[in-house]
Amino acid sequence: MRKKMVSVLLCTAMTASMLGAGALMVHAESVELNVVTTFAGEDSNSKNYQEGLAGWQEATGNTVNDNSATSDETFKTTVVSDFEMDAEPDVLFFFTGADANSFVEAGKVVSIEDIRAEYPDYAANIDDAKIPTSMVDGKAYAVPTNGYWEAMFVNKTVLEDCGVAMPDENYTWDQFMADCAVIKEKGYAPVAAALGNIPHYWWEYSIFNNQTDLAAHPTVPEADAADAWVNGMEDVKAMYEAGCFPENTLSATDDETFQLFTQDKAAFLLDGSWKVGGIVGACQSDPEDPSTLDTEALDRFDVTFVPSKNDVRKASDLIGGFSMGYYITAKAWEDPEKKDAAVDFVNYMTSDDMILKFAQHSASPLKEAPEADTSVMNSLQIKAIDFGAKVTSYTPAVQDNFQGECRVPTFDGMPNIVTGEVSAADAVAEGFAIYAESAE
Amino acid sequence: MGANIYKNKKQLVFFLLPAFLFMIVYLYYPFFMNIINSFEKIGRLGTAPKGWNDPWYLNYVNMVTDKNMHTAMINTLIMMAVTIVGQVGIAIVLAILVDNIGRGARFFRTVYFFPIVISATALGLLFNLIFLYNKGMINQLMERLGATELMDWKAKGIALVTMMIPVMWQYVGFYFVILVTGLNNISEDLYEVASIDGATRWQRVRYITIPLLRNVMCTCAVLAVTGALKVFDLPWVMFPKGMPQGSTFLTGTYMYYHTIEAMNVDYGSAIAVVIVVLGIVTSKVVNAIFKEADY
Repeated sequence: MRKKMVSVLLCTAMTASMLGAGALMVHAESVELNVVTTFAGEDSNSKNYQEGLAGWQEATGNTVNDNSATSDETFKTTVVSDFEMDAEPDVLFFFTGADANSFVEAGKVVSIEDIRAEYPDYAANIDDAKIPTSMVDGKAYAVPTNGYWEAMFVNKTVLEDCGVAMPDENYTWDQFMADCAVIKEKGYAPVAAALGNIPHYWWEYSIFNNQTDLAAHPTVPEADAADAWVNGMEDVKAMYEAGCFPENTLSATDDETFQLFTQDKAAFLLDGSWKVGGIVGACQSDPEDPSTLDTEALDRFDVTFVPSKNDVRKASDLIGGFSMGYYITAKAWEDPEKKDAAVDFVNYMTSDDMILKFAQHSASPLKEAPEADTSVMNSLQIKAIDFGAKVTSYTPAVQDNFQGECRVPTFDGMPNIVTGEVSAADAVAEGFAIYAESAE
Repeated sequence: MGANIYKNKKQLVFFLLPAFLFMIVYLYYPFFMNIINSFEKIGRLGTAPKGWNDPWYLNYVNMVTDKNMHTAMINTLIMMAVTIVGQVGIAIVLAILVDNIGRGARFFRTVYFFPIVISATALGLLFNLIFLYNKGMINQLMERLGATELMDWKAKGIALVTMMIPVMWQYVGFYFVILVTGLNNISEDLYEVASIDGATRWQRVRYITIPLLRNVMCTCAVLAVTGALKVFDLPWVMFPKGMPQGSTFLTGTYMYYHTIEAMNVDYGSAIAVVIVVLGIVTSKVVNAIFKEADY
């Protein structure tokens, strides 16, 4: 009887310990990370991201609860709200400019320096000079996967029909305005832009073109030293008055004016490196299926330099750099079950192989970036790489640091500026007043 | 047993309590907080307030001089008029016509009601394509008819009309169905008697249908006017940010613009308060004008 009792107790103890160990093993194997990125919708890297997710989950046995969404103001608001309500994800791919200030100030993300103190190999393959730093404390928090540039895409069919030469690295503002006049005379829209919807690119370059010191461009100046801003807005107004934009530029959406460009009705399109994917998609009968690409149609597009207005900025000095990256939140960092997984996830997604896929025709943040494999690229990507080789400098966009309500008078208010309902000086002053008030 | 239930009020309270709590948590508390928010400095949605506005009623003062707010208020009032005339008015005509045809009434009921089941966002995208500047449906038709220049249906002078046509069209079917149901409740005997007395078809409509349909029409008018205050999705899809130049803002879209796009939550909250006040006042006025009559 006594032996039976002992054996029953032993069996119970063994079963209990096995169940316990099993539970621990299951727990250790099934770390679930909450991840939010902007690799969704029409982002040219959304497919690469999904492949990366699948690869990491398969390699580690962990799972990812992915809540990625297209990057717009609603998305940014959701991310910031989640941090406010302690509902932030474990890993976040997000902007590094003013958009991130609130959660960096609140200490809700971990700096790369702190992570490297415990994980020395964290982002070890990334060139530290290319890791963007926070406006709040100058520390680096986010590990980038690829850079960006903003440049002028060209519809060669329209240019050739108008007898206008392909702009090069010496393209000047006067030449550009003269070309626009010729193109307009021929019945085309010279520049595809929806000033009432997305004036961002012309806003940025018009200011950049009037700077007297390029290095100072990313910093929001004092209100009494904003000549470049006022003159920039005046330049956009001059373009509008000269008929450089489509007839419906104040009432159209960005998609509509982009369609004018891809349908041979507009000559130039100022946009970011991510637009390469959009143009390629427009040349496919099925935007989801690369095998349906009309290569001849794609060959009719090119990318070139943005006209310069003074001697300070050359046409080959572009807006660009690294403005996004992977953050690890303090919430994941302080969770012993998720800490390792979060670090491993970011290391995986920023490994050499992954960055090669993500960077494509844009800049790579790797210390030793290998030559891009052009055999797997389309003609516009190859042109973009050749174009990138001639770029003389990249300067970060000032609008990344000029966020929120302060933008309203010159972004949403751009139609009022170009139609003369509000003067450029008043609109800039109003934006600066709001910026100063919000900075208090 | 039944009498006991009515005598013992505690049980009724028990069943009313969950809905009451739900309303407190998800409607009255947020509304109360919204009023407080309208006096604070709040930038992006979800961020903490940075203190009180100076003076605390600043947003309400700014609203008086805000041109876009004026436009939004005027557009909303126009929208109310359009809903009464365009939605209820057209629905009355259609309902009477369908009621007077013998065959095919069911077919027309389905056809007119169909837009209601399509989401406003989808309708917005559909009408975007119809009014598209570059090869939209209407511009293509005009080209076929000999027009040499494309028409911008979203340009400042005409944008409001372009916005109101689909909004009007979307809800005609809703009021049509309510009115047809009202028409079905009118006794056939009355029409028969009127016919025997020699009344023409128009006289039957004028002296029987319309007076007996008055209460239903009043209900439709109240629903239409209060509904006009809440119109948001279709106008926002077709004219984001009140494009062009804020000329298509409605009070709802202007509130959303400030809260989400302009990152000025406190001003958005103040607009929300004004919308609620406007809604209460309007519904009182409309209820007084379209008071139901007893027969």
